[in-house]
Amino acid sequence: MTEEREKTEKPYRKLETQAFLQQIAFRQGFEALEASENGRLTWVTSGFPVEIPIAMDVGVVYPEQAGAIIGAQKIGPEVCGYAEDLGYSQELCSYARASIGSTQRPDDVPMGSLPPPQALLACNNICGTVLRWYDAISEMTGAPVFLLDTPPVEGEQLPHHRAYVRNGLNELVGFLSSTFNTTLEDDKFRNVADLSSNAINLWTNSLEACKNKPSPLNCADRFLTMAPVVSSRGTEHCVEFYEMLFAEVEDRVKQNIGAVGDEKIRLLWDNIPPWFILRFFNQLAARGVSFPADTYTHAWSGAIEGVDVSSILDEMVGMYSNVYLNKGLNAKIDKMCQLIKDYDLDGFIMFSVRSCKRYSLGQMASKEIVTERTGVPGVIIEGDMVDSRLFNEAQIQTRVDALLEMFV
Amino acid sequence: MTFDEVIEQSKVELGEMVESGRLAIGIFYPHAPYELILAHGFIPTLLRTDSNIGGAYETSLQTFACSLIRNMYSQREMNQLPEVSGFIFPGNTCDSLQNLGDVWRVRFPEDNVFRLTYPVADTSEASIRFLAEELRLLSEKLSNELGQPFFDDEYSKAVDFMQSFREAAQTLYIVRLLVPDIITYSSLASLVRGFLSAPGDGALERVRTAAKQVVDESGFREDIERIRKGILTHQFQDIKLPPNLPRPRIAVLGGMTEPEAIAKIIEILPKTSDSVIVLDILSFGFKTVFTPPPDGSDPFSAMAQSILASPGEPTQEGLRNRVTYLKDLISNLNIHGLIVCEQSFCDPDEFETPSLEKAVSEMNLPIVRLPIDPELSDLSRLGVRIQSFLEQLESE
Amino acid sequence: MAELPAIPVGLDIGSTTAKGVLLNPDKTVLTKYLQNTGASVSASANSIMERLCDAAGVSREQCTVIATGYGRASVDFAMRNVTEITCHSIGVHHLNPNIRLLIDVGGQDSKAIRIGKNGRPEDFQLNDKCSAGTGRFLEVMARVLDVSLDELGPLALKSKNPSQISSTCTVFAESEVIGRIGSGDAPEDIAAGVHLAMASKVRSLAKQVKIEPPVGVTGGVSLNPAFRHYLSKQIECTLWMPKDPQFTGALGAALLAFE
Repeated sequence: MTEEREKTEKPYRKLETQAFLQQIAFRQGFEALEASENGRLTWVTSGFPVEIPIAMDVGVVYPEQAGAIIGAQKIGPEVCGYAEDLGYSQELCSYARASIGSTQRPDDVPMGSLPPPQALLACNNICGTVLRWYDAISEMTGAPVFLLDTPPVEGEQLPHHRAYVRNGLNELVGFLSSTFNTTLEDDKFRNVADLSSNAINLWTNSLEACKNKPSPLNCADRFLTMAPVVSSRGTEHCVEFYEMLFAEVEDRVKQNIGAVGDEKIRLLWDNIPPWFILRFFNQLAARGVSFPADTYTHAWSGAIEGVDVSSILDEMVGMYSNVYLNKGLNAKIDKMCQLIKDYDLDGFIMFSVRSCKRYSLGQMASKEIVTERTGVPGVIIEGDMVDSRLFNEAQIQTRVDALLEMFV
Repeated sequence: MTFDEVIEQSKVELGEMVESGRLAIGIFYPHAPYELILAHGFIPTLLRTDSNIGGAYETSLQTFACSLIRNMYSQREMNQLPEVSGFIFPGNTCDSLQNLGDVWRVRFPEDNVFRLTYPVADTSEASIRFLAEELRLLSEKLSNELGQPFFDDEYSKAVDFMQSFREAAQTLYIVRLLVPDIITYSSLASLVRGFLSAPGDGALERVRTAAKQVVDESGFREDIERIRKGILTHQFQDIKLPPNLPRPRIAVLGGMTEPEAIAKIIEILPKTSDSVIVLDILSFGFKTVFTPPPDGSDPFSAMAQSILASPGEPTQEGLRNRVTYLKDLISNLNIHGLIVCEQSFCDPDEFETPSLEKAVSEMNLPIVRLPIDPELSDLSRLGVRIQSFLEQLESE
Repeated sequence: MAELPAIPVGLDIGSTTAKGVLLNPDKTVLTKYLQNTGASVSASANSIMERLCDAAGVSREQCTVIATGYGRASVDFAMRNVTEITCHSIGVHHLNPNIRLLIDVGGQDSKAIRIGKNGRPEDFQLNDKCSAGTGRFLEVMARVLDVSLDELGPLALKSKNPSQISSTCTVFAESEVIGRIGSGDAPEDIAAGVHLAMASKVRSLAKQVKIEPPVGVTGGVSLNPAFRHYLSKQIECTLWMPKDPQFTGALGAALLAFE
């Protein structure tokens, strides 16, 4: 009786594990504050080999995640506005604008501004913008920037490319050593790398469980539960979280319970989600639409198996150079086609995020090619991940409806 | 000759070179290995934006793609690019150009597309090694796919050839610092652009002739060499310009905005000579002209070092370095005001502009922002800004 | 060198309206005139010139003319053309030398000008690319709300609870407003929301030139009381508006002709 009512009242199921996210977020926030007060905090990009600073006892926080939090609180336009007041164009990445804005006026952004950094660590495997964004923050805070340059990879990563990135990792270790008076030791590094690999494996398994019909997780679930593997990778509590998540996911699969009550249509989502309107996915869930896979949460993969500093760093070269966003359009197309096939998806929605050229340019070509290769239809909708001014609900509704009508 | 006439001429000259049997390679990013391409017997032609092109990019690029790549793509879509046997796209310089290369390959599979990936760093050993290897691999690919190998003696000739151009162009820039009206900014832009679009003997001769002429006319021979050295060695305090130079003296800053675009805007202003522009620090202008030549026994390392030493390139790291460079340069050149170009949807430009404005304000110099695109959309709008700025400078 | 004709005239040829001002020797305004620019800039310039000369009882040859505004380059009988940034600055400074920041909002663009102690601009920012934050934005919204442009301001002032219009793009905002009408929001609340969005955009422009009271407003849109009300709230300053805000450009041009 209760189950039936659940089905008719709520089209989507809330994850129990999600409740722990807040705990993790608070913990991380507290640790970051402490680290900053002790002069040991760095701001890092989401694709940075964070195992290295963590193993060297240096604190890390993520401006991109802060951006997502700012977006989710629906204060994106306001906070971006603080950056625009300084003269930064509205055409720039909204994560960057939100970050610059909240750094400029931290008291006006209680949830979303970060404690002052002592260093900034950027890796351009996710985009070239981070370089300039972190330069701007460096100018504002006085903290030095370290850039790990991972030039985009085409096909196989060549030896000179590997050597270059490996050199960068060596320099990173040197930079952290001298800036924070610390060293990188084999055991500590091995330990952090293990924890990181464990978490990533558990996360990857949770993602793959979504091949099940119905999918145990919808994309909004994954967007939210992805946070720890981005920001707490390498810690024990991160592994614990994913153990819980995977257990819940496995349980749902066993009982054949889906995240969406009545899964009728399975779609692929491409790009960063609109953090300020995640209910968009719940609205679609009410129509039986679920997203068993998306390119954003599938960016993470790979376990580290090396046994000492040198071998681990070698492995990291490949792992961090070959992330989804660093491999070019063809690789993106291949990945999307594979996800559609592996997860047995009926179609796809490509979110054209104005802020993110790296992710979004090329979608117009890839949309056609993905349909050509997989035979499934798709649609492009326009918007942004933080700047809600750029999201036109009416226009999006029309396009999504048109897609869904193809499945009737 | 007007700028348009110069462009026509370089089109003709490029066509002639191609007809005589040489292959042309189209380049998008001005910090390119011209010497390498010439050493293979190819003609490197730096593609230019076309201010008259209509939008033909809508099926492949969103509006938030930078205006430069939209313009280039539109030209290709309408078959209005020069006839080339291949294109070299830069990698790791910015996300727009990175994606352009990817999309181009998919949309124009019949084109020969090569990619040269740059390190985003300064001239450290590791960066030079990386870029040198990229250049070597590019050379191999050019050889294999277009059937012309790298010749050492052609390389030596190419180094001399490019250096002749750079020296002559540098002379023109320097003399204009001393006597801005000796040759118009538009002429300077034409000569540089004419050469980079069709780097042949004709274009080189024109630049050299113009350089010789201004040296003779100005009588500043020694000063020119002193200033050249000061700029190339970053010892700007050695520049020591003479006092009482005519006002106003304006410098134009920016990334991939064409120098002739600035000249065009000034043209529509009433009774204003473009001698108010005494310097540009743009990628298609100063930064390419003042790139030091390749020097060293291994051509690829030498070229890598040369490219990475180009002054103040915004796609590379080190905002602090660039700002310091700018402040040092500006303070020794007796500049009264700055125009900073912000290309539409250009990340490097738009992230940098606030820092540049701050730095320039700290020097108590006025600065005006110019939001610009290759089509110069609404030229009058751009004119108002410059004219207002000039009026502002007048009253000081 | 021959002396210039003595009577100073300033012509401000905007894209919608053309204004002319003719000054007395003591720099007060002898006569002024405004008309629609229409299709021909030079026709309207000539027409205004005729009117001013008739009203003042002088001939054209006795006048020194400076032209400003969008069509300034086409006024062939002007001695010189000067941009509206400089002219508005001079005009406002003459009327109120205390003003350090001037916000001018016209039909097609908006400007923030920092006025120096000598009455000339020290810095300026323009919004000339995007129609949001200009008179065009209000025009579009008035149409959607089915009121005249003159009625829009008073309507908005009736609201106690402005609707939230978040789009910064006119096209998007238009569909947002349509959505609000559909949702049943009161017209005065939507109108107020529109003005609030407009004021916010203008404030953003002004901030880049640094907001320093007292702040002056000019331009056609400054006649709209709701715009002034919401702008004043947004920048947290009282606003000073000249008696004839549309004429400050022409006034500035005339004062320049005087020099």
